[in-house]
Amino acid sequence: MSKIIAVISGKGGVGKTTTTANVGLGIALNRKQCVVVDFDIGQRNLDMILGLENRVVYDMVQVMDGEATLDQALIKSKASRNLSFLPASQTKDKSVLESEKIGKMLSELKEKFEYVLLDAPAGIESGFEHTIEFADTALIVVNPEVSSIRDSDRAIGILDAKSQKAISGEDVEKLLLINRFDADMVDRGEMLTTEDILDILSIELVGVAPEDRGVIDASNQGQPIILNEKSDAGKAYKRIAKRLTGEKSPIIEPKAKGNGIISKLKGMFS
Amino acid sequence: MFSWFKRKEKSAKVAKNRLKIAIMSDRNETDIPFLDDLKRDIVEIIRKYKDVSNIEIKKVNDSISIEVDLG
Repeated sequence: MSKIIAVISGKGGVGKTTTTANVGLGIALNRKQCVVVDFDIGQRNLDMILGLENRVVYDMVQVMDGEATLDQALIKSKASRNLSFLPASQTKDKSVLESEKIGKMLSELKEKFEYVLLDAPAGIESGFEHTIEFADTALIVVNPEVSSIRDSDRAIGILDAKSQKAISGEDVEKLLLINRFDADMVDRGEMLTTEDILDILSIELVGVAPEDRGVIDASNQGQPIILNEKSDAGKAYKRIAKRLTGEKSPIIEPKAKGNGIISKLKGMFS
Repeated sequence: MFSWFKRKEKSAKVAKNRLKIAIMSDRNETDIPFLDDLKRDIVEIIRKYKDVSNIEIKKVNDSISIEVDLG
């Protein structure tokens, strides 16, 4: 059975698009047919992160309006032939979205792919509502930081009130991804712990990805960080992709590297 | 005077407490979208009888509590 996973956050800038690209690619590398859809109409970005910006010909709005077929608009990833990408429209705005057309397009995508990942726009306005409307699962991306956690709770509230599954009395699966986790700061008591966040939001944890400077370097090149075998964030996204496809994979919390003189000395001798 | 000996409370703990309260109040407000209008009407009715300024209306579990300070 195919699954629609909406990647949401409420607040912008927490790494939603990076997560969509990496987790989508991770699912594809696990030999599952996967498509990532950019729902951020007017602010197309997923194409850049995937390194596919020069291949965009048609977009999702043209597909919904019947100006292009799905096969014409879908772009195959260079990194895995199991991954396809459907771009957002860059020139239109989110007011063009209509539930009926979205539903039709998504059911077509469900026929072709096992996993349909939707990269939601930031905020909780109409574009966001359309992204969660048909979702089976929501992947909620947060940073361990007050504004991100609070905004995510509002987004979850809207998911529970307005998604079709919730309206028909079914449960929308909610999975929490803590992104940009800084274990050193947590160690010093300067950042919320995983337990703190779970205690506040009370939803199921799917993984913790560490803060990783390599993410920007990766996006500079249009090469999702999951392709970098040495990256800690990349490894975390790999484990998360596995868990999403039902495979067993442990949740590993990033460990503190330490900046103090003691841990530096320890590092010298280890 | 020995306050500088006291360890400053860790900011993560402060964040957690502040978030818990903010989110609780966010959730309450989204539960009852008409709460703001209700507040306004109740204040008006009470003011017909007594000019009070401290009226607190909040949602507690599944009920709404109204507290009027007559002092």
